[in-house]
Amino acid sequence: MRFWKLLRIYLSASLSVQLAYRANFLAAILSSFANLATGLLGVLLFYSRPEIKELGGWNLEGALMVVGFFTLTEGLISVWLRPNLTQLSEGIRTGTLDFLLLKPVDAQFQLSARNLNLLRLPDMLLGLGLIVWAGAALGTVTLSGALLSAVLYLSAIAMVYAIWFMLNTTAFWLVNVQNITELFQGVFSAGRYPLQALPLWIRPVLTFVIPVAFITTIPAQALRGELGTAALFSPLVALILLAICRVLWLRALGSYTSASS
Amino acid sequence: MPVPTTDPDITVRAAQLRKAYTVTEKEPGFLGSLRAFVRPNTRTVEAVKGVSFELRGGEMVGFLGPNGAGKTTTLKMLSGLLHPTSGAATVQGHTPQKRGTAFLKQITLVMGQKQQLIWDLPAQDSFLVNQAIYEIPDAEYRATMREFDEVLDLSGILSKQVRKLSLGERMKCELAAALLHRPKVLFLDEPTIGLDVNMQERIREFVREYNARFNATVMLTSHYMADVTALCQRILVIDGGELVFDGDLSALTSGPDARKTVRLQLSRPETAARLSTFGELIRLDGLDVELAVPRGEVSARAAAMLTHLDVADLTVVDPPIEQVIGQLFRSDKKPEPVKALA
Repeated sequence: MRFWKLLRIYLSASLSVQLAYRANFLAAILSSFANLATGLLGVLLFYSRPEIKELGGWNLEGALMVVGFFTLTEGLISVWLRPNLTQLSEGIRTGTLDFLLLKPVDAQFQLSARNLNLLRLPDMLLGLGLIVWAGAALGTVTLSGALLSAVLYLSAIAMVYAIWFMLNTTAFWLVNVQNITELFQGVFSAGRYPLQALPLWIRPVLTFVIPVAFITTIPAQALRGELGTAALFSPLVALILLAICRVLWLRALGSYTSASS
Repeated sequence: MPVPTTDPDITVRAAQLRKAYTVTEKEPGFLGSLRAFVRPNTRTVEAVKGVSFELRGGEMVGFLGPNGAGKTTTLKMLSGLLHPTSGAATVQGHTPQKRGTAFLKQITLVMGQKQQLIWDLPAQDSFLVNQAIYEIPDAEYRATMREFDEVLDLSGILSKQVRKLSLGERMKCELAAALLHRPKVLFLDEPTIGLDVNMQERIREFVREYNARFNATVMLTSHYMADVTALCQRILVIDGGELVFDGDLSALTSGPDARKTVRLQLSRPETAARLSTFGELIRLDGLDVELAVPRGEVSARAAAMLTHLDVADLTVVDPPIEQVIGQLFRSDKKPEPVKALA
């Protein structure tokens, strides 16, 4: 299959580029731990007071699981989305997107798959580790809960991808969109806390406007065995977002002006 | 979807191709920027105003015009990057803007000022990516590379990091990367820009061989007259977004009107009147002088200049393209008017 072959070639090219800058590696690992520590600190502070056992129905292990999903997602954004999608605005500004559009492979695929920042892989591993540890500490995880959680988290990834892609696609009209993706990152950082631990008024925003709840809280709830099949609403939202994302992309290509050479 | 053409030999057809851009304008200074931020002042600019022409299979055509005339915009519409505002393009029976796989596999667009090679890796890594993208079988890939190597002399530079290559070496790699899939239609936008004369010649030779070997259609823009005279018989001239000439190049470069430019570096200032006796004075800037002389009389006139003027340096060059085009419009006998296309 051509796409797999291309993915393999892209991966080896990204690896070769990153190996050329070896000194970066240690700094990247240190910063991964620092990221995780920040996330943990906020949660641990809440639960450090002896009178607090629960926040919005979440005990410490549950809240740590949410931090795990948050860290995993942030890692995924750093490893996969950021290095690829920020190239779009750059490609539009300088006109190098031309070459991508001249190739007989779907341009959205090329744009989304060319680079991987493997230096941020530790973020993902730490997040995954925290989820597994918190799950074990909870002791209530079932196989069906885990499967449901996996499905919900895959949908969450699709949503994050679609949102990131749409935000960057606006570069066709606005050209410089760095601050728009920062806006998403700002809102997304609320995802390191369980939704129910946040003030009531913000919850609808984080559920329906920017679906942060679907990305961290809901997969964690599923893993704890608190969700029924009603949660399968999540894949539907993901599919709709992906479809909108595709339509927006195709329309954007029509307005591409290809910066002059 | 293939569009039926009347003549099966036509590979590229532009029919009333038009492209308009919306541009934002701003007054200079910070206040101007602030005003433009609050209420952007937009204006529509027509870069290409209804251009029509046809190219036959295997034809090499020079596409000339001053900066901003619409050359690059036209090439980008023909290669599917830009959607025309109105009008239609057909290339190898395909509509470019649909960017179908079959279409993209048959064309290439080389831009002298943009590069597709991965900056931090050797060129051959970029070639491998293209091999996978175009699904080129290994045997064909190796054969193509061998052929390219013969003309471009790529040995030794393929394994060097692209950022460590010289401009000329990089351009050779860019060309090879762009032609790896053996396209049938080549759009070359300033492929020799910034290169020294030897390298320009090498690139020309390569394009000529490629055209001969694969009977490829080539549409070439260049700032160097030599590129066009060496490769193309027919030229299209675009000015202000409109096609103003479509015809034979030879009338320009070897006809009775053909001229050369003599550049002089004088040791002592001379009056314009005196200089004009040696040819048409194009430029007089202190001790730097440019004179246009009829092609057939170059040696005699140059000898006269050396005898009668205090010359520190003398070079004979082809006139710049803008001048040739300007001359074309001044002369009464235009070689052939623009053919109106149905």
